[in-house]
Amino acid sequence: MANPIRIVLAKVGLDGHDRGIKVVARALRDAGMHVIYAGLWQTPEAVVRTVADEDADWLGLSLLSGAHMTLVPRVLELLRVAKLDHVGVLIGGIIPEADVAKLLDMGVARVFGPGTPLDEIIDFVKQRREATNA
Amino acid sequence: MPDAAGLDALWDRFRRRDRPALARLLTLAGRGESIGNIPRPDTPSRVVAVTGSPGVGKSTLIGQLLEHLRKQNLSVAVLACDPQSPLTGGALLGDRFRMASAADGNVCDDGVFIRSLATPGGQGAIAERLETLIRVVEAFGFEVIVVETVGAGQGDTAVHSLADVVLLLLQPESGDDLQFEKAGLLEVADVVAVHKADLPGAEFTAAQVRSMLDLARESKTPVLQVSSKARQGVAELWQAIQSLPLRRAVV
Repeated sequence: MANPIRIVLAKVGLDGHDRGIKVVARALRDAGMHVIYAGLWQTPEAVVRTVADEDADWLGLSLLSGAHMTLVPRVLELLRVAKLDHVGVLIGGIIPEADVAKLLDMGVARVFGPGTPLDEIIDFVKQRREATNA
Repeated sequence: MPDAAGLDALWDRFRRRDRPALARLLTLAGRGESIGNIPRPDTPSRVVAVTGSPGVGKSTLIGQLLEHLRKQNLSVAVLACDPQSPLTGGALLGDRFRMASAADGNVCDDGVFIRSLATPGGQGAIAERLETLIRVVEAFGFEVIVVETVGAGQGDTAVHSLADVVLLLLQPESGDDLQFEKAGLLEVADVVAVHKADLPGAEFTAAQVRSMLDLARESKTPVLQVSSKARQGVAELWQAIQSLPLRRAVV
């Protein structure tokens, strides 16, 4: 409990479906993490600013709009420019399988689709943290 | 935890106004780790604490204040305290979302810094080591520092010693006049704002507070009506806050 994981959760772009990201936010909170909920309709610039100011370890983006191949590369690029490459990026939502590999190639740590057990997300975040601390 | 050289490098970046360095130093200080000497600020910031019960509109009003202050070219740092679970240590920090919405999403420029702070119970509604965190953002050079308390309502008076101005938010229909007579919040408030003043009863609540403040002797505490929804009273509110002396400098 001493050094809780800090994770920013946000929705970029114009899609207005935030049920899923709220479920994930609750699960991560209950797993002892500090979840900074940035909410709907964020620009890539605002998200990266949030990650910087909040000194987050992780950024989780939820996209159900189909705009992921436009918005995610933009966020990754801005993170690089802001020298925040150490921040792990997770993607959730409706991502076609063909795009998953592309996103991972770009530097996304993991893509979680619909039906992912919440424990899988929690375990992934926690294990990666232990790996980087070792 | 960084070693001495790592810490020097962080402060070096801090002095070059590197925001991730500021953010990291806040993380370290918040955990209680040693961050060395905090530089003295060139000019003291004005520290404004915003308190009031949950749902009274603290984050929303801060968002409106941000917009107002940015128009006057004042740089602002917000330290937003939200509760942390006593069971898991987890926290959902959602204040900045409402601040951004209230400010038309326009809180992305270099003059605004928002940091969410998980706050364990029993701390007087403010995050641990808040005083140190305030000194760090002050050293970075923000002209105004806004501290949002968890919003415990009654008794979260610990901010008084850390802030220059304590702004207490109330809303219409928030209890009878005896509610305001209880010891604590109203005593430490430097400015009282009846928020959501677009709702019926705001004027009555303001009058109630006014008469309670004046009960023993005439009070100079301003009581204003503010509506974030109708975008009314924010400029007047800042005017009232700004006209008060910097209390921390006196201590």
